[in-house]
Formats: sequence, C-alpha cells, structure tokens
Amino acid sequence: MDSTAKSSKIGTRMMPYMAIPRHDMKTLWSSRLVRLWLGATALLTLLLVGSNWSNFMDGTLIASLLFPYLVFPWFFVAVVLGVTPVSGSRAETLADGILCRPVSRLEYLLATWSARVVLVLSVYLVVTVPAIVLVILAKRPVSEDTVTVYGIITSLGVVGLVLTFLVSLGFFTGTLLRKPLLAVVVLVFIWYPIGLILSIFSLEEFSPISLNQAISTQLRRSWRQTDTEAKDNANVKDADVITDQVSNFFSVLSGVQPKQKANKPDFFEGEKFDDLSLFRVTLGYGLPTIAAVILASLCFYWRDL
Amino acid sequence: MELAIHTEHLTKIYSQRLIAVNDMNLEVPRGSVFGLLGPNGAGKTTTLRLLLGLQRPTAGQAQVFGKSCGPNAVGVRSQIGYLPTNPKLPGNLRPIEYLDLLGKLSRLPGEVRKPRISALLRAVGLLGATDQRIQTFSTGMCTRLGIAASLVADPPLLLWDEPTAGLDPSARRFTLELIREMGKTKTVVVATHILSDIDQICDHLGVMHEGRMIFTGSMQDMKRRLRRHDFTLELEGTAEDVRRLSHEAANLEGIDAHLDTGQALLVRIADGRSRSRALIDVLKLVDESNLSLQAIHSGQNATENAYLQLLQEDEAHGFHR
Repeated sequence: MDSTAKSSKIGTRMMPYMAIPRHDMKTLWSSRLVRLWLGATALLTLLLVGSNWSNFMDGTLIASLLFPYLVFPWFFVAVVLGVTPVSGSRAETLADGILCRPVSRLEYLLATWSARVVLVLSVYLVVTVPAIVLVILAKRPVSEDTVTVYGIITSLGVVGLVLTFLVSLGFFTGTLLRKPLLAVVVLVFIWYPIGLILSIFSLEEFSPISLNQAISTQLRRSWRQTDTEAKDNANVKDADVITDQVSNFFSVLSGVQPKQKANKPDFFEGEKFDDLSLFRVTLGYGLPTIAAVILASLCFYWRDL
Repeated sequence: MELAIHTEHLTKIYSQRLIAVNDMNLEVPRGSVFGLLGPNGAGKTTTLRLLLGLQRPTAGQAQVFGKSCGPNAVGVRSQIGYLPTNPKLPGNLRPIEYLDLLGKLSRLPGEVRKPRISALLRAVGLLGATDQRIQTFSTGMCTRLGIAASLVADPPLLLWDEPTAGLDPSARRFTLELIREMGKTKTVVVATHILSDIDQICDHLGVMHEGRMIFTGSMQDMKRRLRRHDFTLELEGTAEDVRRLSHEAANLEGIDAHLDTGQALLVRIADGRSRSRALIDVLKLVDESNLSLQAIHSGQNATENAYLQLLQEDEAHGFHR
C-alpha cells in the first residue's frame, strides 16, 4: 500500500474525531457565553494592565493578569463549558444526531472534551499572551524586573493545566450528575473552599491562591536555575514529597492516622514560594485531569441515552 | 431465511422499576418492510434504541446482520439509518452543514458525501431551505431532514420511529411513498401506532404490548388470525323489522346474527361456511324484508380488528403472559 492511500485511510478513520470538535467549537463559538467571556476577559485584562501600569513590576503584573483564571471569576466559565456536553437536553440531541451514527462513545467524549479544552485555552491565550508581550516590551515607569521567557511559558502552562483540570472536572461532574445546573452548583461549592479542603490533606501548595502567589516567583526563574536544581536531586525530593502527600491523602480519607508526618515542602516559608515544583504541580493537576476524563468515560459508557 | 435483526430474550428494565421490553424474541427478515406496531408505551422506541446501542439491555441480546449490538458497536450502527420521533436537531446549523457532519461521522469521503447530500436534499424537498438554520424549520421539515440524515450513509437497514408523527397529509403521503420505495432495496423497520400506515406499506409485522412481542409474522398471517368472518349490514327500516331479520338470519346454517348499535346487523359466519354463499343468503332475507340496505362493512378494518383482538387476547392471558 503506498503512503498516499495509507494516509487517506487514516484520514477517513479520523474523520469523526476531526468533525465532532469542529462542530462543537463552532457551536460553542456561536454561544453567548463564550463571546461574552472573550469580551469580558479582554476588558478585565485591559483594566488590570491599565490600572497597574505604573505600579507593579513585570512579574507581579503578569501574575495579577493570571489571577482571574485561577481563582475568580473565569474558573466558573471553564467549569460551565466542561459541564454541558453530555448532560441536560443536549444528551437527547447528541443521541438523536451523533451517537446513533458509527461513532463510539469514547470517540465522542474525547472529541468533545478536546474541543472544550482547546476553546478554553484559546480564549485564555488569545487575551493573555498579547497583554504579557505588551507588559514585557513596553517601557514602564517601574523598576526593572528579571522575568524570563522560560518563566512566562511555564507560568502560562501551569494556569493552562489548571484550566484543563477545571474543564475535565466539569466534564466528569456533568456526566455523573446529568443535570448541568446541579453540577455547576456542586463544583462551585467544591472549588471555593478548595484551599481548606486541600489543607486537610496537606496539599495547600496546589490551591489556586497558592499557585497564583507562586507564579510571580516562577516568572523570574531561569531554565539554568531549574537545571541546576534538577542536578541537586530536586526531582528525587519531589518524588518523596509526592509519595508522602499521596499516602497522607489516603490516610485522611480512610480516617487512619498517618504513619509519618507528611514531608511538607518549604513552600510557604517566608512567603518566597521558592519551592514551587513544576513536576509536582504537573502531577498534582495532570493526574486528576486524566482521572476525571477516564471516570467521565466510564460513567458515559454505562449510561442509557 | 436471512435475518436483518434477531433478538433473543431481549429485556430492558429501567432502574429496577419499569419493564420497557420484556423477554422479546424478534426476527426481521432481510429485505422486508417490517411494521413494529403497538400502543404508546409498548416498548417500540426502547427496542430501536437497544438495537442502536443507545441503551444497554438488562438481559438477552440483539444482533443486526449477525453482529451484536451495544454502545461501542460502531460496525452495527454503520449499517443502520435511524430516524427518531420528532428528531432533535442542532438548531444552529444549516441542512447542508448538518448532513455534511453526519457524512463525516459515517466516514464518507468528500467525493461521495457532497453529491449524496445534494441528491438527498432534493429527494426530501428541502433544496429551497438550504440557507435557513434548522431552528427555523417546521416539524414536517425537521422530519424530512431527519429522513435525509438517516439515508446519508446509504445503510442497508432503516429504523424509523413514528415517521409520520406530526406530518400534514401531503407530507405523510410523501413519507409513506418513500418507505415503499426504500423497501425495494433495503430492510425498513417502521415503529408506529398508526394502523393505516402499517396496512399501506408493510409486508411483515410485529405487535408489541406492554414490552412483549405478542405477534410476529407476515401481514397475511396477521389478517388470517381473524378466524371470525364478520359483516355489518347498515339497514333502514323499523326496529321491529331489523329484529325480525336478525332472528331469521340467525336461523340460517353456520350464521350467527345479532343486532349491533342502532340499525346495524352484525353477521358472523362460522368456519367452513362459504362467505359468499352466506352473504347471498342473508342479502336474500334483506331483500324479502321491508328493510333497505344502506351499506355493508367488511374486511376494511381487518388489521385493526386483528390488532385489537391480539391485545385483548394478551390481556386475557393474565398470568400466562
């Protein structure tokens, strides 16, 4: 079989996986929620940049631009967008239109999840990246800061990961509870006191407010600095911390007293947030994201439409 | 006989509370136009959704063209064109966009998809509405688009649920014609509670009642189930004359006659007695009486009578069901 025929066969097989996200994104884009969100996030970014133009250094200003995505109010939009695909009246439309076609439920779920993640990240990046570029390149009446490209990329990545997690969490809750409004209410009640919930499990460093505070430190980090830390077995330490945190998490859940005190990072000491570990954050938000998508798929697989 | 659909002990119980499909065995011959008939809530739609894998059976199994049905049975769904009752369509799309999306979901390459979409839109009479969004469509237009959607992938099996629901007479006629046409090349299953639709288009029939399949067979088999041969004579004259005629007719061999509502005389002919001879004998009595014959009703409601008889029998069976 020649390569053209092979690629055309792959293209044909992937057709639903391309068509569903395109359709979903088109539908989402035509919704008032997304358009209003884009307008509001652009306006808020403009206001934040304008009002802090001559007050904040680069790192602090960029961190303040990312705050609405991590804490309030845009987490709410990410959750709402995640909740809707397979709940409420939409479930009926997709059963009549899409799932009675030769498309597996997993294909549909992954395609529609991808569409939502791509849309949320697009809106977030379309607004924040130009604002960050403007902040970095403009000559402002504030003292020089040491923000690095590596720091900007990783900070944007951390916020992107949290948004992906929020969409996935909404996706799972919407699939489980079936009623979009109920799912959103449940998630709002979980996400607001998340710092408190995380502190029960000694996981405060993953709370959105902690992350936002740590981002100004991360923005000033250089690749070389991280590389040196890695050489100093920082990842081994990270792995130990993660193991302790997981063990502590399950101990608290099961009500059993932990065998040893969780190896808590020095994250909060001196409020320097030097101990922010991208490895731990990636695992801390990445694994629940994957778990949420898997659980949503299982819920949806067993559901009658 | 090659089967398009085969179910064995198919059962669907919702939340341990409601039995929607009850131990159903169904065989639909390939190439037939099969009517799935039953009152509202009989389990017709659930049966179709089980075949599509939109719902999971509680027990038993279903096969389409020899392949098992289920949520991930993509191969089965590629053989089926489904038209739901009053289809819920994405209102923000236009007909061509919607059919194109469905064509892509069926993995049809562009060179096949595009001409087929245009042919289908022409066939269902929606060529003039291609620039309108679906949300502006009437019920009839949505059904027509739903019909086109079920035919996009040119599947060998069509499952159409109440295809004439909410249609005006001309749209209904168009749909029935289309089913007849489709039946020449495909297996078509039409779920409905409208007997006249079944009578016009189907060659095979399944009757469902309270989740059970209480009859399957050909239309001829169904009509043959009417063991009694009934005629109703509408008469004009005095009540006394009608009563007298009733007595005289009842005295004829192999004929049971009694007064029906008003001036009507119901004549029931026993098995083995020639229907034409019996009718001649009764009409002779009418001729000799002071009555005049207004109308004779017979056979026109055969399917309806057989259907109602089946439902009555099923209910009368009680525990044996």
